[in-house]
Amino acid sequence: MSPFPSESAWAASAGEARYRIDGTIVSARNARVIALDERAASVARRVADGPWAQAGFFTCENSGPAGDGDEIALRGLDGVPSTLAGLLATDPDVVVVLATDDTGRAQAAAIGRACGARAIMTAGVVLGDGFEADDAVAALRPYARVLLLSADESDVFELLTALRV
Amino acid sequence: MLRRDINEFLTQTGPGTPMGELFRQYWLPALHVEELPENDCPPVRVKLLSERMIAFRDSQGRYGLIDEFCAHRGASLWFGRNEESGLRCSYHGWKYDVTGQCLEVPSEEGNSNFCENVKLTSYPLVKVGDLLWTYMGDPARRPGLPEFEFLQVPPEQTYTSKRWQQCNWLQAFEGGIDSSHVTFLHSGGLKNDPLFKGAKGNEYNLNDTKPFFEVADSEGGLFVGARRNAEEGKYYWRITPWVMPAFTMVPPRGDHPVHGHFWVPIDDENCWTYSFDYHPVRALTETERQAMLDGHGVHSKNIPGTYRPAANMDNDYLMDRGAQRRGETYSGIAGIAMQDASLQESMGPIVDRSKERLVPADSGIIKARQKLRKAAVALRDEGVTPPGVDPEHHKVRSAAVVLPQAESFLASSRDAVTVTPGTPQASI
Repeated sequence: MSPFPSESAWAASAGEARYRIDGTIVSARNARVIALDERAASVARRVADGPWAQAGFFTCENSGPAGDGDEIALRGLDGVPSTLAGLLATDPDVVVVLATDDTGRAQAAAIGRACGARAIMTAGVVLGDGFEADDAVAALRPYARVLLLSADESDVFELLTALRV
Repeated sequence: MLRRDINEFLTQTGPGTPMGELFRQYWLPALHVEELPENDCPPVRVKLLSERMIAFRDSQGRYGLIDEFCAHRGASLWFGRNEESGLRCSYHGWKYDVTGQCLEVPSEEGNSNFCENVKLTSYPLVKVGDLLWTYMGDPARRPGLPEFEFLQVPPEQTYTSKRWQQCNWLQAFEGGIDSSHVTFLHSGGLKNDPLFKGAKGNEYNLNDTKPFFEVADSEGGLFVGARRNAEEGKYYWRITPWVMPAFTMVPPRGDHPVHGHFWVPIDDENCWTYSFDYHPVRALTETERQAMLDGHGVHSKNIPGTYRPAANMDNDYLMDRGAQRRGETYSGIAGIAMQDASLQESMGPIVDRSKERLVPADSGIIKARQKLRKAAVALRDEGVTPPGVDPEHHKVRSAAVVLPQAESFLASSRDAVTVTPGTPQASI
């Protein structure tokens, strides 16, 4: 006779936890991280050293109008130039935008629009005291499924880790 | 995903653990005040943060929370006699006061001072609102008493219930800052629950099942904003505050009372959920109070004389597949509290977070874990007082507001998420 009065009690017991299927979790998020300004680029360089399976880190070269976004000039941390259209063609499933001030406001909106048009999840991490990047936050808001407003740059690392990037 | 060692770090709250020490920086709910209803009433066993204690109310009305076991031979003082300003062990008559000081050792000679050197570990136990709070940390670091608004309003404006939850505190707490499950798990409640239904905001909830999130630091923890589409050019925001370590509030709906929770570890595989409802400017109606007693809203209907929900894992939470098919409930479980608890308990006593697949919408949870870990490390390594200890950090509210799309949820809602006594909650 079972010592448990119900199937739920039995199934939720510590002993039964041992029998959860322990399958390998193979697919990581295919993430692209775009730093919109100089300080954000410094953060991206530090975070890029992490143990990422499928992540690409880019800085945003433009500071002027962003047009429809596809032609926004990006540069990988290895110095290789790219465009937003080229980056999105690599089939990412999440694009994380980093900002610390408002210089990339137009690019933020354009990246959000371009990702939205391709049904690619967009997340924004805005580092600082919350005031220097007001416009960037407002520009990202319509598109970014998540906006993390933070004073802590380790949030970027934590977010990518939690997402299994 | 969380590394296994970090999962253990966050879920272990016993003495000497970093998270245990973190919890011991705060005043924590130890009992509902109804558990010690009168002087010299029966003592109550209490286990918090993996420590076994006994609570009693002496002949003078003083509350005590002391080591459960007699210093003599280790017998439980639950069998003791609460009389004449002390709790006397039923085995050999040793008697203790509310501070744990031994007052009498009957076998000793009359002029012996032996009992002066016998003192059980004790913690302060103080009534604030409907709860008895304790502080289990270093007395030199004891903060001011809690000042959450649900404790500060007049008694007729507030109601608190308590239930046992059979899982680690963290997986229960994480449900409190996870706004995206409401549209699914609690969809029936938004239509039917007497403490939820009828609010305009419910329509926004039900019409937009893919909320956007913004997570921002606060002095005491976080604000998590969940955003859904409202009328043209506007967003409906539901703002959830978290005050460390384990206090959250649910954004309000219409003129319904505001509710929230405080999760307290019993041990690493069980926790207490204290759930409250209050209204900042009016008394709760009889109908509302009865609904709370009946287990509606965030409350549970408990087995009489206990804090165990009547629907629990031993009876499969009274699963009703018919109600699930008919759409009355999403999961087949009745009541918002047990809808949450059933799923959180189904994860097992301590869920293995190294197997998770989190999504960006879980950013509130990701950020909360990070803040907890950082605070516990800063306390351990540098003695830094964690956020949420200062009673000023308790003066926050949840809010539900409609804002123009361009506006920041926090900048535009600063007043709405700050307690101003005598003003109503910001609610839609």
